[in-house]
Amino acid sequence: MNKKVYFISAFLVVLAGAIIAAKVIYGGHNINPEVSKHLWRVKTVINITGKGERAKVRMTLPQDNIHQIIYNEHFENAEMVFYIRERPLTGNRIGFWRNELLEGSKSIQYSFSAQLKKNVYAIPPSYNIPKSPKKTYPAEMQVWVDPSTLIQSQDPAVKQHLKNAVGKERNASRAMRNIFDFVRGEVKYRSEKGSKDAKEALKKLEADCGGQARLFAALSRAAGLPSRLVGGLIMESGIKSTTHVWVENYIAGEWVPFDTVNNHFAETPANYVELYRGDYPLFKHVGLSKFQYFFVIGPERIPPVDNPWSLYVLPIHFQNFIKVLLLIPLGALVVAVFRSVIGVPTFGTFAPILLALAFQEISLFFGLLCLVGIIFLGWVFRTVLDHLKILVIPRLSLIVTLVVMLVLVMVVVFYHLGQQRILFITLFPMIIMTWTIERYSVIQIEDGTRAALRTALGTAIVAIAAYYLMGIHMLRVFLFAFPELLLVIMALLLILGRYTGIRLTEIVRFKEIFKIKR
Amino acid sequence: MINPFTVFKQFGLLGINRRNACYTLARNPRRLYPLVDDKLKTKEILEAHQIPCPELYFTIKHNFELKYLRELKFLKEFVIKPARGAEGRGILVMVDKTGNEWKKASGERISIEDIEYHVSNILAGLYALGGVNDEAFIEYRVHSHVVFKSLAYQGVPDIRMVLYRGVPVMSMLRLPTKESGGRANLHQGAVGVGIDMQEGRTLGGVHHDKLIEHHPDTDMLIAGLKIPFWNDILEIAAKIYDVFPLGYLGVDFVIDQVLGPLILELNARPGLNIQLANRAGLLPRLGAVDQFGTQVESWPWDKRLETTRRLK
Repeated sequence: MNKKVYFISAFLVVLAGAIIAAKVIYGGHNINPEVSKHLWRVKTVINITGKGERAKVRMTLPQDNIHQIIYNEHFENAEMVFYIRERPLTGNRIGFWRNELLEGSKSIQYSFSAQLKKNVYAIPPSYNIPKSPKKTYPAEMQVWVDPSTLIQSQDPAVKQHLKNAVGKERNASRAMRNIFDFVRGEVKYRSEKGSKDAKEALKKLEADCGGQARLFAALSRAAGLPSRLVGGLIMESGIKSTTHVWVENYIAGEWVPFDTVNNHFAETPANYVELYRGDYPLFKHVGLSKFQYFFVIGPERIPPVDNPWSLYVLPIHFQNFIKVLLLIPLGALVVAVFRSVIGVPTFGTFAPILLALAFQEISLFFGLLCLVGIIFLGWVFRTVLDHLKILVIPRLSLIVTLVVMLVLVMVVVFYHLGQQRILFITLFPMIIMTWTIERYSVIQIEDGTRAALRTALGTAIVAIAAYYLMGIHMLRVFLFAFPELLLVIMALLLILGRYTGIRLTEIVRFKEIFKIKR
Repeated sequence: MINPFTVFKQFGLLGINRRNACYTLARNPRRLYPLVDDKLKTKEILEAHQIPCPELYFTIKHNFELKYLRELKFLKEFVIKPARGAEGRGILVMVDKTGNEWKKASGERISIEDIEYHVSNILAGLYALGGVNDEAFIEYRVHSHVVFKSLAYQGVPDIRMVLYRGVPVMSMLRLPTKESGGRANLHQGAVGVGIDMQEGRTLGGVHHDKLIEHHPDTDMLIAGLKIPFWNDILEIAAKIYDVFPLGYLGVDFVIDQVLGPLILELNARPGLNIQLANRAGLLPRLGAVDQFGTQVESWPWDKRLETTRRLK
């Protein structure tokens, strides 16, 4: 019997390993080594501290375009409300995090992988800048033609300078070259301290990457070309908290990139990731006393697998549901170990897992408090109902109703006491708790209060252990990226199923044996 | 520092994991469980094979049959049991009747409404393994044999015998106490007493997992009592295997002062306290039975009983 089980377990582990290896290596023979050099993994960590009021954070998220593929996105939203919106004007994708009442600190994490490539553009040598930009370009592009607060393309100083730099040059390629050389040559680069907008950059002749970019854009718009800022990250292994800004000009039907800071004329190198388009900040936040972010960048080994069956193709909100689902087998493993190896009694096998999930929704301390309170009160109700000789099934329904009424009272009381946390109790934990009351009561009547309390305590202990295990960030990420790890959990459960050792609690139970003389 | 695992190994302790993995799962065919878990089905089969058990008065299988409980007014004493209750749950024992009410062994008064409420709880599955619908039955109330008078506080002591592959290997006498409310349930405070398989004499006792030599209520010495009808009990136990071929089986006997040994119920998952009560582990005896080869199950009952005698 055991041999069969071990064989099947070994097979499952090997199978899981094979699938994982295939995922990592697959496509490797299709992808040439040139491309694999440009795979990166970025983890954005946003640390925020609330002020006790409504808090909002928004961040533009990278998207696929001609020189990057974004994949394996992973969000850890720290229990905040999260949704994504697309802005039709710019095409930017923005992630919003919101908390109605934020006290204390949270850490939001957003990770993604990117496959990048170098893009070189050739400006057609005979292309001339169109004379009337208002008529040439469609309405939605006018925003890139008109001046803005920081890109003062109609400012007389700017216009004067354009004349100096470009003169009567109408050839696009040559005009660009002149503007580029001027900004790069004449405006000194100073990171952080330099000027930020076009006019000032021109006056002081020194600017940071934003200032240089805005000046370039201003000059380009003054010349009659649609021009926009592009924000992104430069991929280098390590930790950084600065982003980079460069410019794109619409020339002959294409958006052509220019970076005067790092000397990229009509090209983007293979280590630029684009995060947003337009002159916007990467982050915006409201209602926070502290806001801090950084990026952890490292090489990525897994290429974007063109796998329509992968979990990553699912919409983000459904992904969150799947992540919870994946945690359940993990919880089941914890229960199995605690029952079979340690010998902790619980109310059934599912109860600790469901309790752990409930704790994730309403915090551990609060969940345990509710559990104890509800068991106690449920026991009181049940004793009363017993006295009234109520039948079993209506009795359970009565207890549920009473528990709901209790929750209503609790919510109103806590609200007036200023404790807003309770507003987030949902249906799910309530159902679990009510069912637990019934189980507790039966054991209490039949086996005594001690046995019932022991089982309740055992259930709580296993639930807490499962809660902590399920909270390990790395495990969640791994399970989602490689759901075949469930096969490994199955293998472990199979082996546990044939475990014949003495349970740890049995050592206590049979301790009188030590008194028996051999 | 003593290594508990070596002490247990020397003792031959059977833990719950091993009992489930190597014995109950391996030796008990799943299809036979319903016959053993459902006391009503067990009684039907026992009576069909003329194996002695407490007389069945009547059954209540549906809610509309509750009104038949009114017939109980003609009975002075009886026992109500759930067909699928485990570990003595849901059992109501009426020992006397005064006027319109019955009395429990504790003296508590019970009315017909209390009884109807209790039976409806049984039908709703409150005491059943798995919690789904159940049936209730009323049976003869056993009067315990006089030999136990000094050792039992109210209630009826029973004898649990464990059979492995049809061979009786170990047995335990369970004595109700004040604490257990007259129930022979070790978890609720009854005393477990080991029994020497050859002579049917009691050994020491165990109470709440602690070794004792004297009954907690009467302070009588536990060891040395000779169980009446011991050879009959062994014989019935061995014969049971032919009717219920479960490889790892617990058989619960009571000894009625008039009718002698009766089978109360069978158990497909007999507990492990029997080892503490006997101050001996089960593993050596189970291993000894296995030494006799693969044909043990097919031996006639007397040959299997002989194996019991050869176990020491």
